[in-house]
Amino acid sequence: MSAATRRVEHVTCLGCGCACDDITVVLQHDRIGEARNACALGAAWFGDGTMTPDVRVHGRTAPLEQALDEAARLLRAAQRPLVYLAADLSCEAQREAVALGDRLGAMLDSVSSGAAAGILAAQRRGRAAATLGEIRQRADVIVFWGTDPAERYPRFTSRYAVEPQGLQTPEGRRSRTVIAVDVGARRGPGDAAARVAVAPGDEMDALGVMRATVQGRVATDHERFRSAVELARRMSAGRYVALVADGEPGAAPADPDVAEALVTLAQALNAPTRCALVVLRGGGNRSGADAVFTWQTGFPFAVDFAPGYPTYRPQPGAVALLAAGEIDAALVIGSPASVPEPMATGLAPLVTVAIGPRVSAASFKPAVALDTGIAGIHEGGTAFRMDDVPLPLRPVLTGPPTAAGALRSLRERLGA
Amino acid sequence: MSAASRLRISGGTVYDPANGVDGEVRDVCIEGDRIVVELPSNVPRLDARGMIVMPGGVDIHAHIAGSSVNQGRRLLPEEHAADPVPAPRLADGAIARSGTGGTIPSTFTTGYRYAGLGYTTAMEAAVAPLAARHAHAELDDTPIIDAGCFVLLGNDDYLLRQLVAGELARVRQYVAWLLGATRAYAIKIVNPGGIARWKSGGAERNVGGIDDPVGSSSVTARKILEVLAGAANTLELPHPVHIHCNNLGQPGNVATTLQSMQALAGQRAHFTHLQFHSYGGERGKGWKSAARDVIEHVNAHPEISADVGQVMFGPATTLTADAPVEHLLYTSTGRKWVNVDSELETGCGIVPYAYREQAAVAALQWAVGLELFLLARDPWRVVLSTDHPNGGSFLSYPQLIRLLMDRTYRDEQLKRVNQKMFAGSALLDGLAREYTLSEIAIITRAGPARLLGLTTKGHLGAGADADVTIYADHPDRAQMFATPRHVIKGGTIVVEEGQLRRAPAGRRLAVRPEYDAAVTKDLKRFFQDYACVSFENYGAEPVS
Repeated sequence: MSAATRRVEHVTCLGCGCACDDITVVLQHDRIGEARNACALGAAWFGDGTMTPDVRVHGRTAPLEQALDEAARLLRAAQRPLVYLAADLSCEAQREAVALGDRLGAMLDSVSSGAAAGILAAQRRGRAAATLGEIRQRADVIVFWGTDPAERYPRFTSRYAVEPQGLQTPEGRRSRTVIAVDVGARRGPGDAAARVAVAPGDEMDALGVMRATVQGRVATDHERFRSAVELARRMSAGRYVALVADGEPGAAPADPDVAEALVTLAQALNAPTRCALVVLRGGGNRSGADAVFTWQTGFPFAVDFAPGYPTYRPQPGAVALLAAGEIDAALVIGSPASVPEPMATGLAPLVTVAIGPRVSAASFKPAVALDTGIAGIHEGGTAFRMDDVPLPLRPVLTGPPTAAGALRSLRERLGA
Repeated sequence: MSAASRLRISGGTVYDPANGVDGEVRDVCIEGDRIVVELPSNVPRLDARGMIVMPGGVDIHAHIAGSSVNQGRRLLPEEHAADPVPAPRLADGAIARSGTGGTIPSTFTTGYRYAGLGYTTAMEAAVAPLAARHAHAELDDTPIIDAGCFVLLGNDDYLLRQLVAGELARVRQYVAWLLGATRAYAIKIVNPGGIARWKSGGAERNVGGIDDPVGSSSVTARKILEVLAGAANTLELPHPVHIHCNNLGQPGNVATTLQSMQALAGQRAHFTHLQFHSYGGERGKGWKSAARDVIEHVNAHPEISADVGQVMFGPATTLTADAPVEHLLYTSTGRKWVNVDSELETGCGIVPYAYREQAAVAALQWAVGLELFLLARDPWRVVLSTDHPNGGSFLSYPQLIRLLMDRTYRDEQLKRVNQKMFAGSALLDGLAREYTLSEIAIITRAGPARLLGLTTKGHLGAGADADVTIYADHPDRAQMFATPRHVIKGGTIVVEEGQLRRAPAGRRLAVRPEYDAAVTKDLKRFFQDYACVSFENYGAEPVS
């Protein structure tokens, strides 16, 4: 290995919520040459690690101190500020951001509002869950409900849920039965051992019939639900069942009733057998934002500090407040690429301060843009896997300012 | 401290049982963050005449930070909405944080409320090793109190493997390594073997007794208890193994509890929330009190200690690594329920709950806890807890203190509760005991500190941490203990005239026993074969 080449091992990838922490990053001349073990999505997330961080105030390049002063001035002047957390932040940066929201009396939200259906279902009913490693160790029946993790969570099946050997699954995939449930166009994995088709209009009823079957309450003999009843029986006969669904928004808006029915089915299966519902979550430490919001405020997203204390506003949410014209300034933190389209549109006419990777190029044209590195590539700290397992971040490159540092400086200016 | 780093608390009536001081009027001197013998007469004074002075409270067992606690928080938005907490107004314009309360408050509110109650130290009693980094991050956001973590062992696959293989020496090395890697203070055992069975998905969903085999005939709860208690004592940890026995909450579990104590005869061990483990009766036929049997055993065995885990009427959140118990509670109550199986290590179950005076089982639980307190002969070894938030919030401690100190009040309460299951309860014998202030000082600070091996806490002798609580001598002891006039933490006056005025960061309490590095080679192999996180990323240490 030449002097210009170095390797960093055990790096945690935040390309998706799998947070694989077995990545070896090979650096050549301060560029990422290779991210070994990473999937295509992970490799794209790492990129080559190069950044040309810019600091802009009202469109012009400016010194950092001036940008921070102006950011503080704009936020202090706001009547109804929004603090919005996008992806690619460490928990340490998220903690600073919530402190700022508290100090500003702001509406505080994150990209997790896109996963609200699953979060709210868990708040209404609870969870029957497991960390991903436990799925690997135990699950002999894995049901993918209208999702194929190959696209958005590429290593999920190779690292956690299907292929690897575990304590009670000594032969990996051969120790398990993989069942794909195709809900209309939302198809399960192509290589599943069995498939069940559910018409989108029947999804709620199918889940209800399955739960009733598991509980031994009713057994419909209606042809439409024959395969659902059969699936419920197969699940009940398993030793440890994993039910896998996608928690992130897709082409169709997530149905809160379906999210709740998945929870209650998984819970019911814990009478005849054991069952865990795995709700897949996206990358960039989204789950960390939920955790930090919860421990600092008591609520996982959509927290309104306007009364001087945290209140929960999951129903209107930040997007709706933006659309209603309620917000007059915003602090957007994290990668603009992860900001959903309706949010970016709502931000465009506002005075915004943006702190995060490549924010100077954000579509919503921030009044103050302070480019930082990416948590996990240029910034250390902690991130949460989609199952809330905390992992350390190992920055492989340094140089750009850190989000946590910039937010601390802003806090000092705002007396927060 | 506000101005000078010296302070004389003058003229208060001091209860410092660790130093044999029982209600004497004397001064307490503070220099920096320590208690000192004497100070010049011209240092700033805090006039404590007519007031009661005690060391800061020490909570030996509570659930305040970490993955399970945060799962519980997330489950309770309605509680948080009902108990909003604006940021306290601190002295000198210092910034404080708003939050929410309920049975599981947000982190900042947790710190403020403990301090507001005169508590300056608390132990987080159940940290899954895999999530230790999370627990420490929350404690970093929990101001004022000094805190330590008990790390969960006893259902972890690595340990169970060593027991099968008879590698007992390696267990000691593993335990020592794990305590350091997770920055923990003590070993917590929860339902030994029972959680492993729950997760295995087999027909047996829990262990029924301490000799049930767990996976292998050579692994039983008895074996797990013996080996881990031995490891803790060989490593000379400041706190022995902290044990949550099998069969929590089950009628007739007294047999298991006594067998567990006998299994460790002669060894130091702490049995936690003993109330939940002191029931007679039979499954299917109902509960009755077996408090007398359990406390007599504790009284007769000085190597054993316990905290009570009192149930208090009102809202609670049951929250434990003992996941099979929570599934039973979910099934019987129909309330919302969280279960999270934690890979290779432990479990987590949560069910929100409320103890009602008119509910027979809740009333029995309340009575059993009081019996344990009132029949305990050595307050140094039977200390106060509600297993917060399981038996009730830590905010209910003052009410509990009044129940212990005020027989008239207790008898009034007794009349109001459902006594259907009270047959055989010593409480019906008219237990007349009233705890003295000195005994309260023992069970809320001096005792827990001694059991935890915290030599600079729980007392006011020279060299002790300057953690001091000053109460108005109110005849209603619940009111007195709920609203201390002044609280000093590490020499800083945090509560002044009943108001929270300062919120310094707390310190972390942790042990770091030495271990033979050979164990990490074996652990790396195990991680390679089974774990889903890198060995190098495990634990709670900063990475380079």
